[in-house]
Amino acid sequence: MFYLGVDVGSVSTDIVLIDENMNVIEKMYLKTKGKPIKVIQEGLKKLNEKYDKKQIKSSGVTGSGRHIAATIIGADVIKNEITAHAVAALNLDKEVKTIIEIGGQDSKIITLNNGVITDFAMNTVCAAGTGSFLDRQAERLDIPIEKFGEYALKANTSIRIAGRCAVFAESDMIHKQQLGYSEADIIRGLCEALVRNYLNNVAKGKEIKPKVFFQGGVAANIGMKDAFERELGFKIYVPEHYNMMGAIGVAILAKRAFEKTGESKFKGLSLAESTFISSSFDCYDCPNNCEIVKITEDNKEIGCFGDRCGKWSGRINEKVL
Amino acid sequence: MKIGLPKGLLNYKYSTFFETFFFELGTEIVYSSDTNKEILDLGVKHCVDEACLPIKIFHGHVASLRDKCDLLITPRIMQIRKKEFICPKFCGLPEMLVNSIPNLPMITTAPLYFFSKEKLYSWCIASAEKITKDRSKVKAACTKAMEKQNNTSYGIKNQGFRKNIALIGHPYNIYDSFINMNLVKKLNKLGVGVITEEFVEEKDLDIQIQKLYKRPFWNFARNAFGFSTFMAEQKKIDGIIYISSFACGIDSVVIELIKSGIDEFPFMVLKIDEHTGEAGLETRIEAFVDMLGGGINYESNLSPLR
Repeated sequence: MFYLGVDVGSVSTDIVLIDENMNVIEKMYLKTKGKPIKVIQEGLKKLNEKYDKKQIKSSGVTGSGRHIAATIIGADVIKNEITAHAVAALNLDKEVKTIIEIGGQDSKIITLNNGVITDFAMNTVCAAGTGSFLDRQAERLDIPIEKFGEYALKANTSIRIAGRCAVFAESDMIHKQQLGYSEADIIRGLCEALVRNYLNNVAKGKEIKPKVFFQGGVAANIGMKDAFERELGFKIYVPEHYNMMGAIGVAILAKRAFEKTGESKFKGLSLAESTFISSSFDCYDCPNNCEIVKITEDNKEIGCFGDRCGKWSGRINEKVL
Repeated sequence: MKIGLPKGLLNYKYSTFFETFFFELGTEIVYSSDTNKEILDLGVKHCVDEACLPIKIFHGHVASLRDKCDLLITPRIMQIRKKEFICPKFCGLPEMLVNSIPNLPMITTAPLYFFSKEKLYSWCIASAEKITKDRSKVKAACTKAMEKQNNTSYGIKNQGFRKNIALIGHPYNIYDSFINMNLVKKLNKLGVGVITEEFVEEKDLDIQIQKLYKRPFWNFARNAFGFSTFMAEQKKIDGIIYISSFACGIDSVVIELIKSGIDEFPFMVLKIDEHTGEAGLETRIEAFVDMLGGGINYESNLSPLR
């Protein structure tokens, strides 16, 4: 018997299946590319080739696209990504005290004590130092993002890059390139700048106690791990499924929810055959002019989002639930 | 004569005073509508870029009333309590408006001090100049307005919730549900009750303020620091949420003061700005509520479907 976890993030959509012992049986890392519905369908289609609906007892969703994902798959648990990450980390190691999570658009710090979240913070309005920024710089330097970290480790020295703002960092990098510094040294400098920015901005005023877990897509970058370790002065751990932790966490929560209630709203794996259309329109019923997103499954309305008053979303919820 | 009353900034607290005063003078009062996207867009269009969101929104309210009234109430609020000050943007508000929004009708420019009857009266005389020269009428209206204002109570105190948090911030961030994306309702939905600073007594604030190395310069600082440290000390609540406009100078200081004053008590800052996407705000408040839940075992506390 399996439990499904889906994490719809800004850059990637992660899908996992876990078993009764919370082992990861199946995992998929797909690029969201701004099309969450299509990506979820693709993922479930692949699962459908190997598994039967009856084998999946319940499902959970997380990530910034969790509401749209929940509507589509009929999720039992919809959970914010901070809690989901903490659940997954604690499942691996009860001793974890700090979670550093850097994703596509968000970076977070979660501090834990005896298995309880005691504090957390997310980056505020600035996305400097997150995965999308690294992605962009890798593209600009014409280095595959997977190789980015290796380059940093090849460096002999690190070039100081301004890390406070993505725009400044980029222009600083360009200047340093023009002066002829080696790519490796610049990349190592960039990793250090991002770590500095993370510690001064996201983790400001928070004590980072070991044991530290480093999760999220950016944890793939060994240059970043290395920079964190040098800055903190102790070892940090990158869990095996570092880029799936959100999905794993919410799958665990889905399992717990099922154990409690014994029922599931999960719609099954055959979703790939349905046609989902998401359309948006402005509601002019009041001066808020909310931008409403409407999702239909085979011409049947299944969900609406984006309204402030609840008129649209409320109307659909009654049908769904 | 038509009086325009913009629903922004401290009018959330003092609208009773303005309303009563101008009503007593026999003028018609036109209100701007509750903050909405149109007003936000108008405000962003007219206001200088560096200003904070509440100031931009006030510009939007003023711009929306521009052609609907003869006199706009744009209070230049200098002080609310004696020896304490408020954000400097309030002191320069009329100038900001006049220089940013073309073709404004008459606006009120007299300085306004809420702590003294005499000073309030002089504001009334100056602001009613174009309406009536009858001093006794102005005085009577002013007295009545003060009375009504003093008898109006503000604040949010939800009851019967599993968890309770103190909500701190400038009144226009707390009471404008457009700015804060319906924060109070969202918290209520998650089973969390809200209490605001109005429910702490002055004497309790005074005791807390003693802990600071000097008397706070800002009125906001006194309220926010006093309220949060008092609530944390009394353990009447489970956590504190501070709602703050991006780039607010006062908040940048006050938030640090509070953090140092409440030790390990659960505390979260929500930054708000022009964005209308709610995902970021929801993630933060849901995670915060989970955190207050204590353990990781909180399936009952799922994100509500929107």
